[in-house]
Amino acid sequence: MRIIPVRLQQRCTGRHKLHAVLVCCLLAIPAAIAAAEKGNCRPADPLVFGILPFISSEQLVFRFTPLVNYLSENLQVSVRIETAPDFVEFARRTHEESRYDILFTAPHFFTRANQKAAYRLIASVDSPEMWAVIVTPKQSDIHTLQDLEGKRLATVPPLGLATLLVRKTLFEAGIDPDVDLDMVITPTHDAALLSSYHGVTDASALMQPPFAAASKKVRDSMRIIARTGSTPHIPISVAPRLDAACAAEITDLLLNMGSTPEGKAVLLHNRFTGYRQGDPAIYEKLNELLNH
Amino acid sequence: MHRKSITLFQSLRFRLIASVVSIEIIMLSLLVWNNISIIQATHTDRLRDTATSMIQQIARTSGNYMVAVDYATLEDYLRNIIDYQELSYLVILDRDEHAVIALGEFPLQPWPASEAHPAQVTDGVYDVSDVITVAGQPMGRVLMGFSLSLMEEAIRKSRTRGISIAAAEIILTVIVTVLIGLGLTRRLGILSAAAQEVGKGDYSIRIPIEAADEVGKTATAFNQMVTEVSSRTQQLEEAESQSRTLLAENRNLVHTSLHVQEEERKHLARELHDELGQCITAIQADAESIRDLSGVGDRRIETSASAILDVSSRIYEVVHAMMQRLRPGVLDDLGLVEALKEELSTWQDRHPGIETNLEVGGKLDKLDERINITIYRIVQECLTNIARHANATRVSISLSGNIDTLVLSVSDNGLGLDQSVPSDGLGLIGMRERAEGLGGEFMLASEQGTGVTIRVRIPLHGEDK
Repeated sequence: MRIIPVRLQQRCTGRHKLHAVLVCCLLAIPAAIAAAEKGNCRPADPLVFGILPFISSEQLVFRFTPLVNYLSENLQVSVRIETAPDFVEFARRTHEESRYDILFTAPHFFTRANQKAAYRLIASVDSPEMWAVIVTPKQSDIHTLQDLEGKRLATVPPLGLATLLVRKTLFEAGIDPDVDLDMVITPTHDAALLSSYHGVTDASALMQPPFAAASKKVRDSMRIIARTGSTPHIPISVAPRLDAACAAEITDLLLNMGSTPEGKAVLLHNRFTGYRQGDPAIYEKLNELLNH
Repeated sequence: MHRKSITLFQSLRFRLIASVVSIEIIMLSLLVWNNISIIQATHTDRLRDTATSMIQQIARTSGNYMVAVDYATLEDYLRNIIDYQELSYLVILDRDEHAVIALGEFPLQPWPASEAHPAQVTDGVYDVSDVITVAGQPMGRVLMGFSLSLMEEAIRKSRTRGISIAAAEIILTVIVTVLIGLGLTRRLGILSAAAQEVGKGDYSIRIPIEAADEVGKTATAFNQMVTEVSSRTQQLEEAESQSRTLLAENRNLVHTSLHVQEEERKHLARELHDELGQCITAIQADAESIRDLSGVGDRRIETSASAILDVSSRIYEVVHAMMQRLRPGVLDDLGLVEALKEELSTWQDRHPGIETNLEVGGKLDKLDERINITIYRIVQECLTNIARHANATRVSISLSGNIDTLVLSVSDNGLGLDQSVPSDGLGLIGMRERAEGLGGEFMLASEQGTGVTIRVRIPLHGEDK
């Protein structure tokens, strides 16, 4: 079942799309000019590549180090990975401090970052839309959302996209997640998945990409009982302090990553097919989800 | 026996104590040094291992906090560790080498270099560092400093304790060694003193046996030895006394026999003179009468009478010579000097190729008859020996007397006498016995090729001793 929020659909009107295209064009023109040259990023300090802590720090560093190294080598500046202890802190650092020069976060967090800290979208992961899944161990007698009543459902922190999507899905199924079941907050998607895998909880809610990236043993022992509505894939944005030339050079690198063997290796490591030009309009529909 | 004083370095007591104490000091010094080295190595290795373990654990666990830039939580976690006693400071550096957490008495920048071992530390703080990594990517560094004061205090206490024990052991060893040395050398001193007393002839001394150890056994053996020596010495003294008695008796017998011999000779000479001499004189007188009366008568009577006269004269000469050898009448009639002169003259007549010389001096006219005959017989024996063996060309005889002593010296320039070769004759023995029979001395000096000198000294008083 694919669930698309009505409010989000309403926001994606033609006028908004036109505005978005104009903005993109305005941003793209200087970026395209600047991208022809290299060495536009010359900050005094290393560029901070902020990643939402949706998986453990160990996993996060492991997965994104090749991408960061690729950027660093091609930009000829130091780029370093940073995250935060949790989603709330990550959002706070983003919104209040604009701490991250390059922001790799969940779609709904980008929307807020854009609104509160003027982060500029420069690219998106070129993959189909994302959704969350609710899984249970295969030997479990939970087969539908209704079977979750009175059960323990592990999920990511409340601000996590998976939590938001699942809450919306549960409400739409007539289940009040705050009353009919016990939502157990875990720090990451991995923790949420392993929670039911080890029998600590009855089911787990997490985004589909982390589930797909989980070990085969774990994945094969779990059963998907529901999937939520889709959201755009991960956006990549930059802080407002980065000048247009630098942002354009980063965009160029991301969009053309598939054209070099090194870039292909990085994409393969991240299980991404590539990056595409970012469209801020497609993320606006997430405001509805945030306001749910 | 002269007892020599013992110098300090010759003293068995000093050498024993010095040797034991020296060995003790050397061995204990080595032991203490070894223990201190082990203690120091143990403490430094422990500190190094502790530091390595702690810093590795912190480096591993801090990575996630560093990626998340969650320094507050990391600091809370690290504050539990900073309570560790030896930890002086703990600093977490980010990837730009900026201190993001600094606990304890952390040093000023530049950050101290990591030290491989606490033994290399010079500033009292063992600095270590490690890289904080996540998924193999560096996320910062952790610096830790461990104060050496606790370790050094522990080492100092161990060293003090070790040296104190060693010093106590040395003192105890010195005391025990001195006591044993004194006891041992005191008993050896008793043994030494007893041996000196025995050397002086005191065989009555005995050493008390204080213990059944080696010195005690030596003392027992010493006592047994002294007893045995005493017994043997007593036996030797008794045997010597008996020998002296026998010798004295023998000498007395010899002197008596000599005296008897001289008396018998004197008596025989007198009998020959009184009886045989008168008869021969009568025969000669009768033979002369017969020869004179025969006159112009029978020529055969005159011839027979002359033959009797010749034979009797010859018999008289023989008897006279026998009387002279048995007892020179001149000795009794004119004294020792004249007798010696006559004897020497007669001997000169028989050996005209030997030059003789007689010198006399002092009072020699009132000598005892025994002295006279002794001197006469010694001179007579000397001349006989010279004639038989010396092949001499000159003989000197000297006789001098004073109030106390009579000295006779007879010397020649003959072949000399090898005194190392025992003599078969009894002449020298007889002369010695005659001299010693009068309490005198008999001395012979000779070397081959230089002649012989015989010297006799006879006391004029106390010759009856």
